[in-house]
Amino acid sequence: MIEVNHLVKTYGKKKNLFTALSDVSFTIPDGASVAIVGKSGSGKSTLMHTMSGLDHPESGEVVIDGENILQFKQKAVDAFRSSRMSFIFQSFFVQGNETCYNNVSLPLEIARVPTRRRRTKILKALQAVGLEDKVKSRARDLSGGQKQRLAVARAIVNQPRILFADEPTGNLDSVTGAQVENLLFGYNKEQGATLIVVTHDMDLAKKCDMRIMIKDGEIQDILGGDRI
Amino acid sequence: MRRLDIVRRAGRNLNQAKARTLLTSLAIAVGAFTLTLSLAAGNGARDYANKLLQNNIDPQALFVTKDDSVTSGRGGSTKLQEYSENSVTGYRAGSTVKMLTRDDISKLERRSDLTQVVPIYGLSPTYVQFQGNDKKYSAPVSYYDATLTNEALAGSVPKPGVQIADNQVVVPEEFAADLGVKPKDLINKQVFVTFTRAAQSPTNEQIQQAFLDGGQQAVAALVKPEMKTYNYVISAVLKKSALALASIPQLHISTNAVRLANDFSEGNSATAGQVVGVTAIAKGDPSVAKEAIQKQDGLSVKTAKDLQGVLFTFVGILQGIVAGFAVLALIASVFGIINTQYISVLERTSQIGLMKALGMSRRDIAKLFRYEAAWIGFLGGLIGAALATAGGVALNPWITEKLTLGEGNYLLVFAWRQIVGLLVVLILVAVVAGWLPARKAARLDPIEALRTE
Repeated sequence: MIEVNHLVKTYGKKKNLFTALSDVSFTIPDGASVAIVGKSGSGKSTLMHTMSGLDHPESGEVVIDGENILQFKQKAVDAFRSSRMSFIFQSFFVQGNETCYNNVSLPLEIARVPTRRRRTKILKALQAVGLEDKVKSRARDLSGGQKQRLAVARAIVNQPRILFADEPTGNLDSVTGAQVENLLFGYNKEQGATLIVVTHDMDLAKKCDMRIMIKDGEIQDILGGDRI
Repeated sequence: MRRLDIVRRAGRNLNQAKARTLLTSLAIAVGAFTLTLSLAAGNGARDYANKLLQNNIDPQALFVTKDDSVTSGRGGSTKLQEYSENSVTGYRAGSTVKMLTRDDISKLERRSDLTQVVPIYGLSPTYVQFQGNDKKYSAPVSYYDATLTNEALAGSVPKPGVQIADNQVVVPEEFAADLGVKPKDLINKQVFVTFTRAAQSPTNEQIQQAFLDGGQQAVAALVKPEMKTYNYVISAVLKKSALALASIPQLHISTNAVRLANDFSEGNSATAGQVVGVTAIAKGDPSVAKEAIQKQDGLSVKTAKDLQGVLFTFVGILQGIVAGFAVLALIASVFGIINTQYISVLERTSQIGLMKALGMSRRDIAKLFRYEAAWIGFLGGLIGAALATAGGVALNPWITEKLTLGEGNYLLVFAWRQIVGLLVVLILVAVVAGWLPARKAARLDPIEALRTE
């Protein structure tokens, strides 16, 4: 379970003060699929960064399974992210020069998974996204949809409990976008992992169990969940 | 992240920017090349110097002087020296050098810890003649050094440590060639060495007496320089050695013969019997004998080891100069690495952001960039050292021939331990150069980094 309590995040000082998040609170049950919906600049990305410990809010707490990760030291947050979370981004961020295999291997290396146990995990993840024939291809030679599928493989290889997806279909056409959506929801359902999608695409948001509507750093509405 | 995984990723990252990596490491390669050569030349020069010393100087040998400026290479004193009755001074090349007196020499001869005390007289015969040849030659004459391993081209030399007979002379190979005679034809031929003794300044009474006795002619005879010729039989023609320290070809006669000739030619001079130096063989530990002589007789003593030290100092200085240029090249390459790595960090902002998002620690990200720098250093070092070694090994025979170092002696001696050490140092240099860019990468804000594109 993820509890977000009274998060406040501001940028700048005095005259230029900009409030990105003002007193945001909600709870996400384990295994849920959640959409954080809002226009660009609404604070939805900041919310995702804060929930994953990448960003540090002025006040508030993010309690995951009973632990407030905002109080962790940098090392502990890093370790927590590498073992429990993963990310998918709009612009893929796959390493074009590396092979698909080595792209997927990165989270395992960061999490210090022993070498001998990596191979099966990597091949399984690539198989799950339908890239089993691209193991040795360089990521730059893949199409956009394949790159995002590779990113999904990289995100799920270490079996994270929480999967963040920041506009995962934003750079894809509807067909490949649908493939990626299916992969994400499939992982969510099969593994019982929490999926948090940041998007402005209402069609994608409607497929989620729960929708958090955000505007100007404030929660407008929560559909399908409980507002605290 | 495990160290091995970081090293592998660093290596792959570089492999993907081959041209840039190669060009950056070439800067280091220049320094590595020069350093490898200077190390090799130092090894070779030290080896060669050691061989020279071993072939020329008995490890037990001591070189005794009055004035340590003779052996220290500083030259004599050019200052005004205070006169003292017991320390006679001679003048060499415009500088004042204290000479050993007969007293000093006999003191040394009486010492129980020394044997074979040989004063180094500088004999300058007026002329030299060879049997069967009318021409007069000028040739230097010195004593036969029994401490050397002398090799005879013709005739025979005594066992090491044994002097030749007082009526014998040993001729260098070069003289045979100059005379146009086969070495073996010289054996048992005679050599006539003529010395001139400067006339004594006669007193007024002697002049008067001479004038009364024999008139003008008797006075002229009184101030006429006296000449004397010594006969020697050639016992051997010495083979020229590439490892000989004294490169000047000269005639060698026994130490007794040298003393006789010197006594005659210097007989009337004010500095008669004085020498710049004396060689001797220590009976026990040469450094113990050195201490004792310095303390008891107040003389300056150099052992074979000291001489090695002097030679090695010269080698070290030359080597240092070359190494200095190499270090300059390395410093230049450091800035090359810093520059390249900074650009690399900027290019890979989003990659760094992603790695941070996936939980890679700052420390590991810094390591990744430092290891990339280390790879560059390793590669550059390897290229430079390999080129230097390959080139050196290929050129060695040619250098040996040009410098007449003698068969089997090489100027460039490569030691793999040194090269490995050099590589380690270069890797460290590269890591230090990569420090700032690595720190920049580690401090990158992941949110900012992920916002790019």
